[in-house]
Amino acid sequence: MNAQVQIDAEVRELSYAEAIREAMAIALESDPAVVLMGEDIGTYGGAFQVTGDLIDRFGPERVMDTPISELGGAGVAVGAALTGLKPIFEFQFSDFAALAMEQIVNQAAKLRYMLGGEAEVPVVFRMPSGSGTGAAAQHSQSFEAWFGHVPGLKVVQPSTPAEAKGLLLAALADPDPVIVFEHKLLYKMKGPVPAGHYITPIGKAAVVRPGQHVTIVASAIMVHRALEAALRLAKEGIEAEVIDLRTVRPLDRETIIASVKKTGKLLCVYEGVKTLGVGAEISALVAESEAFDYLDAPIQRLGGAEAPIPYNPDLERAAVPQSPDIERVARQLAKGEV
Amino acid sequence: MPTEVIMPKVDMDMASGKLAVWHVAEGETVKKGAALFDIETDKAAMEVEAPATGRLHHILAAPGETVDVGRPVAFIYAEGEAVGQSPAAAPVTAVEEKPAAVAVPPVVAAQVIGPDSADLRATPVARRLAREGGLELASITGTGPRGRIQRADVEAAVARAKPGPVVELARPVVEVPKPVAVVAPAAPITWEAQPGDLNVTTRKGSGVPLVLIHGFAADSYGWRPLEEALPKDQALIRIDLPSHGRSPLRRVDGFADLAKQLVQVFDRVAEGPVHLLGHSLGGGLALALADIRPRQVKTLSLIAPAGLGPEIDGAALNGIARAGSVDSLAPWLKRLTARPDGISHDFAKAAMLARLDPALREAQQELAAVLFPDGVQAFDLTAALSRIAMPTLMIWGRDDHILPWRQALAAPGEVALHLLRSVGHVPHIEDPETVAALIGRHIRG
Amino acid sequence: MMRDTTENIPFAISQFSPAQLREALRKMHLIRLFEEGAEESYMRGLIHGTMHLSIGQEASAVATCMELTDADKITSTHRGHGHCIAKGADVGRMFAEFFGKETGYCHGRGGSMHIADVKTGNLGANGIVGGGLPIAVGAALTAKRLGRDDVTVCFFGDGANNEGAFHEALNMAAIWKLPVIFVCENNKYGMSTAAAYATAVPNIADRAVAYSMPGVTVDGNDFSAVAEALHEAIARARAGEGPSLVENLTYRWRGHSKSDRNRYRTKDEIEEWMTRDPIARFRAELIAHGVLGEAEADAVEVEAKDAVAAGIEFARQSPTPAVTEVTKFVHAEVAA
Repeated sequence: MNAQVQIDAEVRELSYAEAIREAMAIALESDPAVVLMGEDIGTYGGAFQVTGDLIDRFGPERVMDTPISELGGAGVAVGAALTGLKPIFEFQFSDFAALAMEQIVNQAAKLRYMLGGEAEVPVVFRMPSGSGTGAAAQHSQSFEAWFGHVPGLKVVQPSTPAEAKGLLLAALADPDPVIVFEHKLLYKMKGPVPAGHYITPIGKAAVVRPGQHVTIVASAIMVHRALEAALRLAKEGIEAEVIDLRTVRPLDRETIIASVKKTGKLLCVYEGVKTLGVGAEISALVAESEAFDYLDAPIQRLGGAEAPIPYNPDLERAAVPQSPDIERVARQLAKGEV
Repeated sequence: MPTEVIMPKVDMDMASGKLAVWHVAEGETVKKGAALFDIETDKAAMEVEAPATGRLHHILAAPGETVDVGRPVAFIYAEGEAVGQSPAAAPVTAVEEKPAAVAVPPVVAAQVIGPDSADLRATPVARRLAREGGLELASITGTGPRGRIQRADVEAAVARAKPGPVVELARPVVEVPKPVAVVAPAAPITWEAQPGDLNVTTRKGSGVPLVLIHGFAADSYGWRPLEEALPKDQALIRIDLPSHGRSPLRRVDGFADLAKQLVQVFDRVAEGPVHLLGHSLGGGLALALADIRPRQVKTLSLIAPAGLGPEIDGAALNGIARAGSVDSLAPWLKRLTARPDGISHDFAKAAMLARLDPALREAQQELAAVLFPDGVQAFDLTAALSRIAMPTLMIWGRDDHILPWRQALAAPGEVALHLLRSVGHVPHIEDPETVAALIGRHIRG
Repeated sequence: MMRDTTENIPFAISQFSPAQLREALRKMHLIRLFEEGAEESYMRGLIHGTMHLSIGQEASAVATCMELTDADKITSTHRGHGHCIAKGADVGRMFAEFFGKETGYCHGRGGSMHIADVKTGNLGANGIVGGGLPIAVGAALTAKRLGRDDVTVCFFGDGANNEGAFHEALNMAAIWKLPVIFVCENNKYGMSTAAAYATAVPNIADRAVAYSMPGVTVDGNDFSAVAEALHEAIARARAGEGPSLVENLTYRWRGHSKSDRNRYRTKDEIEEWMTRDPIARFRAELIAHGVLGEAEADAVEVEAKDAVAAGIEFARQSPTPAVTEVTKFVHAEVAA
């Protein structure tokens, strides 16, 4: 593990949500330019209780409830970032970012470029995303590929509490707009989190399980499903290498290519709709790279169904890759059956 | 200083504009803001207003003329200002734009490797290991899905081929075979004659058909522009010469042999008397045909026919016959026309597409050597031209760089001769309307 | 003729020094001549892409920015050349940007529609109608949060007042009492659609009532009237009393962009508005009130003309960006 650098502080068990809150508290304490903005993030504590009690500690001037105005609110965050603040803007659900595409895609992502490098927009957009909560089609989507398609944005997807904190602090330190996709099913997940300030670098993937028979590239909750699958495969003698992507844009080409050159087999697992998704990009970059000559099987993808996220729990599970799906395809790849 | 009136850019993608009409005549007065002239664009007509008040002088563009954006079209002189020479002589000097200096990384050309055993299924790593191990993929049995050769299959094959210590496959164990060349080899390809009849295509229509014989290194496709200009109901019979178009590759001893081969196909396709049209080498062959089968030919039309003098641009013929790419073909094709832009890139591409087969190019080079040894027309048809009696029309471009038009002067007085200005060796492509009109009149008598 | 009684002295004449007024006239000429120069360069094929000219709207741009300092911000629109010059930009670098040159304000990456000069507080023109509205509110939020007394002026057109962003932005500026002045340049048409047709209220300033802020409609071609309205709004903003909405009624002489055929308005209407030339009017006012003499007023125009000619020459001689640097400025340069 390369990312959690300089950890000499104590390590506690925190939930993913607590880790994010801790990162925000550190930022608010250490930098007066940091403000939190979003709907119901104040007294209510945020739709997923991520901001929690921060309003009590930092006051309503720095933990600002916005009206239900996603476009306007995102735009205010962009304007504030452009002029010297470092806003962290929370969307209640990543789905609602569709209302603010104008400000995120046309303004935040492009301002530095349009102005020839004379301006910067150090804004962070936090977006609770993903399915599994029974919230159906408009509250369960995975938009990583949407935003990953926009030059000028950086897009991260933490999979653990420690990463959630480290990537959020990295996003805050970044002079450009960063979108943080937080998986809703992970908010309550507990894990070791170092105290104090540290950074998980943006643009760097992590090999979270080494193996030589097949490479599984996954992100967010899919990392955990891939690790479960890898554990079962290991009992059959199949060693899967699991890569936690962490950052969707910019992609960590080197880590992926090095792994595929070793295993010769690639499985991409992602929750967003399969077609034109993150896995499509990873497949293409491997096919274009020197790793091509090391491939010993067609590249495989497991992505979201070509349908909105359904309400019925069985349908909902079927709409996104699950651990047994990953196990099955990884086994076929490893055995040369694909 | 008079005020310059320019062709304005009125559309984002506009590079030049066609001046449609002047609303103010030379010497007349005009008020700033009044309509001065109209521009015709492909979208709409646009009115251009006078940029100043005064008298209009030095109109440089007549209605219908196309002018580049930013170029002057006239000048407006203030009342009382002396009208001098047209100031248009001083053109707008373009400032040379130098990009800011930045180190450009060298472009590394991707190595192109020919397909190996294209029908086989093999994974990329299996292909690479086989290549590095000097093994033929065809000799390896694939155990993967649908018989795909996988890494393990190649490793097993290598182990069988090299008993003894286990070979580490990450490194090549045998000298890597030389990559297959993708550039046409310099050494001549020995081509083989093909069986079959010459290719004949027809366009159905009414009346007496017109038989078309194309020139050297061309094919029936080259008649397209003329066909479109001819009456739509004109029946056509097109013949592809040996080793041209879709006809088989054939060896030819000389012009007489070629004419004989053509008579065979002519006898097969011409059911009654026909009108006959040939271009260049095809013109010479048409003339020979008319001489051999006078009763089968109602009228004869010759476009820049071969055989009427010794001179010919042998370099161009060989260049065209030899060219292996659009880039090497295009410059030679340019010699065919009076204007260097007479042949479009698309035309050159289409022409090259028909010439992709190296054997065909080889056969044509051989044919050129037989018919035009040392760049000379080795056959003389002036006697044939004086013998024939059917109505004969000859069309020649005055700017023909391949066959000089003066060779037309060999024709007897009965032959109708048309020398076209600003036209080169391919009048039927450069000015199909005029050629179609002349031929139309000729064959209708 | 106006008589120089105290009551008849226009606000601007009494508020600003002769030097400030002379400079205002120079900037108005500079805007007009800059845009005419840009138009001519476009017609000569030296400028790529389209542009939106504000000829006829110069008083609105200059009078609005009269009391702003470099610390104050503006957000601008696609019709933003005037705002940029009024805020203090250099026409040479602006021309260079229009010509796509490396020396342009945006290093050739932005062009007419994204012209900006961050150093003089211009946060940039915007290709999206209403795009600058929330951004201006954000800039005002920064000033308030950091305890600075600078204000943000948000230029927008009549078309933007029907965008959702307008309503969200005004509401947030009002609830947080932010130092922002929303300046609507109502030039009667959003592209071809008349504001009178597209907007449910007679005056766009009437919208202010819904957001509990003052709203005023003024003759946008009357320099002094605009300056007076902004004076009050800026004072209110600096005093921490919150946002205002000012509507400048004006008119663009040219079409929406270079591809406009002017089918939606009559020549008579255009000519009628051209008789209300804001520059001629301001110049006459300055002469009538003895701020400038005829000769001095002429000299101001010549000064502007020279600056435009020099600007075009600078732009022509400037280098173009290297094509290998197409991705430069997408992100901050990372020290390797």
